[in-house]
Amino acid sequence: MIPISYYLIFAAALFCIGLFGVLARRNAIAILMGIELMLNAVNVNLISFWRYATPEKINGQVFAVIVFAVAAAEVAVGLAIFISVYRRRGTVSADEIDLLKW
Amino acid sequence: MNYYIDPLTLVTFFPVIGIVVLLFLRADQKVHARWVALITSLITFGISLAILAQFNPANPDLQMVVNIPWIQVAGWNISYFMGVDGLSILLILLTTLLTSLSILSTWTAVQDRVKEFMIFFLFLEMGMLGVFLAQDLFLFYVFWEFTLVPMYMLIGIWGGKRRIYAAIKFFLYTMAGSILMLLAILWLGIYQDTFNVPELAAMGGIPPNLQFWLFLAFGAAFAIKVPMWPLHSWLPDAHVEAPTAGSVILAGVLLKMGTYGFLRFNLQLFPIASVKLAPWVAALAVIGILYGAAVSYAQKDVKKLVAYSSVSHLGFVMLGLFALNSQGVQGGILQMINHGISTGALFLIVGMLYERRHTRDMDAFGGLWKVMPIYGALTLIVVLSSMGLPGLNGFVGEFAILLGSWGAGLPGGVLGSPWFTALAALGIILAAVYLLYMFQKLFLGPVTKEENRVLSDINWREILTLAPLIILIFWIGLYPNPFLNLMSASVDQLLNAMQTAAVAGIP
Amino acid sequence: MSLNDLLVNLNLIMPITILTAWACVLLLVDLFIPKERKGITALLAALGLLVALALVISRAGVATSAFNGMIMIDGFATFMSVIFLFSGLAGIAVAYDYLIRSGIERGEYYVLLLFSIVGMMLMAAAADLIMVFLALELLSIPLYVLAGIAVPRPDSEEAALKYFLLGAFASGFFLYGTALVYGATGSTALTEIVSATTSGGVNLSFLVIGAGLILVGLGFKVAVVPFHMWTPDVYQGAPSSVTAFMAVGAKAAGFAALLRIFVLAFPPLAMDLTPVLWALAAFTMIIGNVIAIAQRNIKRMLAYSSIAHAGYIMMALVPYGQGNVAADTVASALFYLLAYMLTSFAAWAVVIALEHNMGEGRDTDGLSLEDYSGLGQKQPALAAAMTVAMLSFIGIPPTLGFVGKFYLLRTVIEGGFPGLALIGLLTSLVSAYYYLRVVVYMYMRDGEPVVRREPWLYFTALATAVGVVVLSIFSEPLFNWASQAVLKLI
Repeated sequence: MIPISYYLIFAAALFCIGLFGVLARRNAIAILMGIELMLNAVNVNLISFWRYATPEKINGQVFAVIVFAVAAAEVAVGLAIFISVYRRRGTVSADEIDLLKW
Repeated sequence: MNYYIDPLTLVTFFPVIGIVVLLFLRADQKVHARWVALITSLITFGISLAILAQFNPANPDLQMVVNIPWIQVAGWNISYFMGVDGLSILLILLTTLLTSLSILSTWTAVQDRVKEFMIFFLFLEMGMLGVFLAQDLFLFYVFWEFTLVPMYMLIGIWGGKRRIYAAIKFFLYTMAGSILMLLAILWLGIYQDTFNVPELAAMGGIPPNLQFWLFLAFGAAFAIKVPMWPLHSWLPDAHVEAPTAGSVILAGVLLKMGTYGFLRFNLQLFPIASVKLAPWVAALAVIGILYGAAVSYAQKDVKKLVAYSSVSHLGFVMLGLFALNSQGVQGGILQMINHGISTGALFLIVGMLYERRHTRDMDAFGGLWKVMPIYGALTLIVVLSSMGLPGLNGFVGEFAILLGSWGAGLPGGVLGSPWFTALAALGIILAAVYLLYMFQKLFLGPVTKEENRVLSDINWREILTLAPLIILIFWIGLYPNPFLNLMSASVDQLLNAMQTAAVAGIP
Repeated sequence: MSLNDLLVNLNLIMPITILTAWACVLLLVDLFIPKERKGITALLAALGLLVALALVISRAGVATSAFNGMIMIDGFATFMSVIFLFSGLAGIAVAYDYLIRSGIERGEYYVLLLFSIVGMMLMAAAADLIMVFLALELLSIPLYVLAGIAVPRPDSEEAALKYFLLGAFASGFFLYGTALVYGATGSTALTEIVSATTSGGVNLSFLVIGAGLILVGLGFKVAVVPFHMWTPDVYQGAPSSVTAFMAVGAKAAGFAALLRIFVLAFPPLAMDLTPVLWALAAFTMIIGNVIAIAQRNIKRMLAYSSIAHAGYIMMALVPYGQGNVAADTVASALFYLLAYMLTSFAAWAVVIALEHNMGEGRDTDGLSLEDYSGLGQKQPALAAAMTVAMLSFIGIPPTLGFVGKFYLLRTVIEGGFPGLALIGLLTSLVSAYYYLRVVVYMYMRDGEPVVRREPWLYFTALATAVGVVVLSIFSEPLFNWASQAVLKLI
């Protein structure tokens, strides 16, 4: 059986890649993708912890399901906002959305 | 049912009634606003006289005490605790008297936004009375900080050219000191488990090195208010920019909150630190006396001169208080009253002149005695009183302070050196120099400026404003015993308690 | 869980149940309300809040848990719910006329507000990290939309975009932290986390990192430095009525979660977390107050001030691990949140009264400090309310802000951090400078301020300002109430 640390390292790496994406990319869509990577890292963590630590209980699995359900809801709202911005300005680049001091 | 309201609560919050009435006036009802404020303040003064009548000078303890639990949950032990004793009774009277006179002095001087002016003024009176009467540290702090707001408004709205700068400087300076005091109050509240001042004083038991820090924290707030050199730099700005009535109250009462604070809190709560630090405080006081006098002499602006003279006079008060003997402390308290009367009167006088000529530059005047003889005569009396001429009030206070500090300066005394007295006496001479110089520049010699020839002498209202102060100047000067009798029992008890605590604390 | 169990549990959280159902129904009812009469929706929403408020208060004193310990109804949750419901009511009061005159009156506004309040109430009652996460999203997602509701105003949608991105980013941290805590202790329930920690055998480094990441995630929500960068932009860009609501509600909810999680589940980690909290509180107070000095836009200034106040409340959290102070930590934070709520609404109501729209789709005006010149003479009541709010923010008696700060400082000193208390006091001194500047403009400069005379705005400004003063004088019942709201494991 693969040791849990492999999963955890993988999840941590995924989280950091997502974090890097959020911080480095200027396009709002790309930032959102970065955030999604972070959330997926969380799910990997949750599932692996569940499998290795408390397989007899269901809470880890449930949590993971809740996370992606809520993330989907969040993305729906987020994309709506993006579209609204894009319609008016023709861009969703964080550099160009600078009416307010960022 | 008992509908009796205790006198101290009544006197403190009576101005609120005037404020409520004022709120219902229209902004253009200026005369009504003035009368409402004047009548309110006169009634408040009347109540304070009634308190004086009830006051028993032989009793050294707090009298007419109100002590109602206020916030007593979650480990808090805060009460609405007011009381008056010999240390504060005169200050109460001074506050109510000066407030009435100041309101009278604004009759023509303040034309703009009269209603708001009066509201802030009465709020200020409430705050000041609360400061002198509160015997619970939390309550005291509430009143103490509260007085900042109306004074800030008075300077900032009705002041001179640089009023906003002066107002903010006043606010921030004072608040800077207060926050240190707040830390100390919190410390006392947490570790001594009460905010009740007499209880704290009786409890004692604060180790000497902590007393030292707490003394400094409280002292920072009070020293800024007094103001003691080198923390005085807000005072000239505030005084020069404030409207006349504001200056009168600022000099007459607000500064006394600082000296009163030292007397009530530092001496009572931290006796060991007080004894140990007395020479240092006295040194600062003496520097203040000389510095204030020297800088006064250099001023062209009459109001600034009076402002700096306050630094000098308050130095005397501090020297007297920290002589820590009966004459010194009594002289200090009396000098607080004297300074309120004399400097208050001086600010009123300067204000009257400013109202006529719209300048306070000494060079713009000269020979006014010929034009305004009554005004000149009254000014002379006030100037002589401020100088400490025997027979007038200033002499009694300053003499007692010098006697006290001399006694404390003898070998084995708390000050430990007679130099304090010697230098302070030099300050009296300097005071004579700058005050007479000012008087000469304003009143003597020929009338040099044409526009001064047509100045009208002071009118009945203005005489009425000054008259009570002039009467007090003579009364205290010729027969000070009634005033000293009021405080002596409390002062002796305070000093005895300090003696005991200090002897017990110093091995 | 059978249907009967479900009903029993729903009954246990009746205020939340009612409010959720009411919000859903209102969403439908709103379809039948004509566009020019959206005041009815506002009224209905307020009615729902009042019913929930009455229910919350009638059930005060009951301590119970529901949904297998996912939710705890206790004094803490009750106190916070009252804060949320009051800020909801005030949020509707300041929004009503503002939305009409800005041309953004939509029924959804009030419905979203209700959903957000449901999220906040759940947040304060959540006793399980999964529940905290759900509540966090339930309160945040409506706020993302609300921030952008003034579309097509460009600053509003920009605020929505930024708020969304940062909010989602923060949830990522929160979730990762939660996952680590789950991995370390095998559970997401606060009770089990603490029992697992005390009985030993948990991976402490996972737990500490997890707690730290949870702190980061919630730190974004309550806007503590260094997780505050979104605050000024979002507060400035969002419609002012939304900002007012979010500045109070979202912050209070974030602190509710922080308090519950830390005080209940993480006291064993106090050794590691206290220095972090200390630094966060200190930096937040310093940076928030110092940057606020430079602001000329009142909304931006209040945004930095709200950051600074997050720092003050954070102070209370620093000694959370000391058993004898923990009760004071919770009570003083709650008390300060209440003071902050009333003060904020007084200030924001005045801000909204002075804001005016320059036309369809254009930016708003009336938000710079100069626009407040002469307010003291033209609108004495509003100016007085604003002055009270400013004094309360500084902490000058007799205001609730002073009493609240006094309590916070006492907690901090009792916990043994006099240095932090000194920083708090010094930064208050700094803050006096910029708060007083508003007073300077209102009273000491002449001008012709453009002011809306709208009854609900006036009412909110004056009622909250009077509350700030009067409640500070008669604060014993409030202290009593706050100190009963201690957090205990049921």
